[in-house]
Amino acid sequence: MSINKFMKGAVTGWMTSHGEHSDIVMSTRIRLARNLRGFRFPIAFTADEAEKVDSQVSAALLTSDEKGYAYMKMSELPGLERQVLIEKHLVSPQLTDVKRHGAVILSEDETLSIMLNEEDHIRIQCIYPGFQLENAYDHADSVDNYLENKLPYAFDEDFGYLTSCPSNTGTGMRASVMMHLPALTITKQIERIIPAIARLGMIVRGSYGEGSEAPGNIYQVSNQTTLGKPEKEILSDLKNVALRLIAHERRSRELLLSKSRVALENKLFRSLGIISYARLLPSGEAARCLSDVRLGIDLGIIEDVDMSILNELMIFMQPGFLQQYAEADLTAEERDIFRADLFRERLRSEQQTNENNKEN
Amino acid sequence: MLCDNCKERPASVIFTQEGMGGSAERHLCEKCAFQTQVFHFDPSQEPLSIQQFLSHWFSGSESIQPFQQSRDSMPDGPICPDCKLTFRKFLDIGKFGCPTCYDTFRGQLPRVFSKLHNGHTTHVGKIPDSFNERFALKKKVEEIRSKMQEAIEMERFEDAAALRDEANALKERLAECGNGGDGSDVN
Repeated sequence: MSINKFMKGAVTGWMTSHGEHSDIVMSTRIRLARNLRGFRFPIAFTADEAEKVDSQVSAALLTSDEKGYAYMKMSELPGLERQVLIEKHLVSPQLTDVKRHGAVILSEDETLSIMLNEEDHIRIQCIYPGFQLENAYDHADSVDNYLENKLPYAFDEDFGYLTSCPSNTGTGMRASVMMHLPALTITKQIERIIPAIARLGMIVRGSYGEGSEAPGNIYQVSNQTTLGKPEKEILSDLKNVALRLIAHERRSRELLLSKSRVALENKLFRSLGIISYARLLPSGEAARCLSDVRLGIDLGIIEDVDMSILNELMIFMQPGFLQQYAEADLTAEERDIFRADLFRERLRSEQQTNENNKEN
Repeated sequence: MLCDNCKERPASVIFTQEGMGGSAERHLCEKCAFQTQVFHFDPSQEPLSIQQFLSHWFSGSESIQPFQQSRDSMPDGPICPDCKLTFRKFLDIGKFGCPTCYDTFRGQLPRVFSKLHNGHTTHVGKIPDSFNERFALKKKVEEIRSKMQEAIEMERFEDAAALRDEANALKERLAECGNGGDGSDVN
């Protein structure tokens, strides 16, 4: 498949680079967990209950004035397509377990995804590019209001929205901000910051990979508690923490530049070299180089490469997307080859666009 | 050796981190190790492992015992009429089975929530618009329904029919104010 055709079909709303502080904040996500009265939670319900929940919620949404919703049942979707939805962060791995009656409803631009019968009956999720907590919340909130008027929510005067996991009870809201923090990582300050943020009731974690490292120096900051604070306050607390992290990251970038400009330029350009010419590109190396190239772009060191490269390629370098790009099943080594191909093509298409622009 | 993180306390825990460039060892004190665990997450688990957290619930120090003896002798606690979850099982799996569980375990929950949510036990955020009105209407429908049963038992069928009409009218209003479900079936 040609890279342009592939990207056209694959780039989703939040991968573009705009919104506030989009040089550091890659995306903002709001998730609301909701359940219907009269049905047991997915952990305990029957196939029949699952079917009823699914049909009630999807009927309510698909008959709304909002056009362009697409409904997908997990058990009817090919494995590769389920994998791609996970890699785009539109559904959770848990939802795609075909034994569990999961389904998803996506808005046309994919900023909104509503998971049905995941851990809860309904999970409304909005992902926006850049730092847009209020906008993402308002969107999720409006969908929530619409559904609330159509369906009997499980709600309790004391405990708020009732959820399957007690860690979501109350607002049912998880707000998170995905941040690219290379300078805080290089200077190892992040190791001190993470425990400090944990004490403020927030959680920081690497967002893509397993284990303690954050591939691509991408971290996710989110609220830990959902009970006892109104939504607006949770959002503003998270916003304050994120703003402080942004300021800290910017200072560290300036410090790195002023103290060791040549060493930094060397590191960043070497990474650009690797993703421009490598023939085998393992995912760890790819993530590290992408982070470097993105930092180079942000600092004005690397020109003529679009800043959305990090958002896009972090997603497209994953196994599901690579196999869709290759239109074939791939072994791990073949994936490294195709990953290298994909990166080279992506950078070449960028070059061509730039040259065309210059000619015109 | 001193802890890599705080550089104050002696290191007693060794972490091996698999990094991009191979693995690296970190020596931490117990305190720092506990704090960094937030970061050592397994993506398939909750940010804070609820199961682990709650499994130490019932008997305080007893739960440190490696095997089930003490747990087996523990009381099951209240049992949910809708999904049959016992309070003890709830603590084991860390999940509620249905909305009714919240009613069943109402007495025990403030302690659970207080631990999970930084001391908070009650919701203070968004309330569904239709909740208050709907709640009152539902109460009314239930009341009428029990009166209707009474009338049927007394063979006052005309009264029962009138009550049924009244309940149906309320049910329609319930639907108008946003209850799409059939939870208030009065027939």
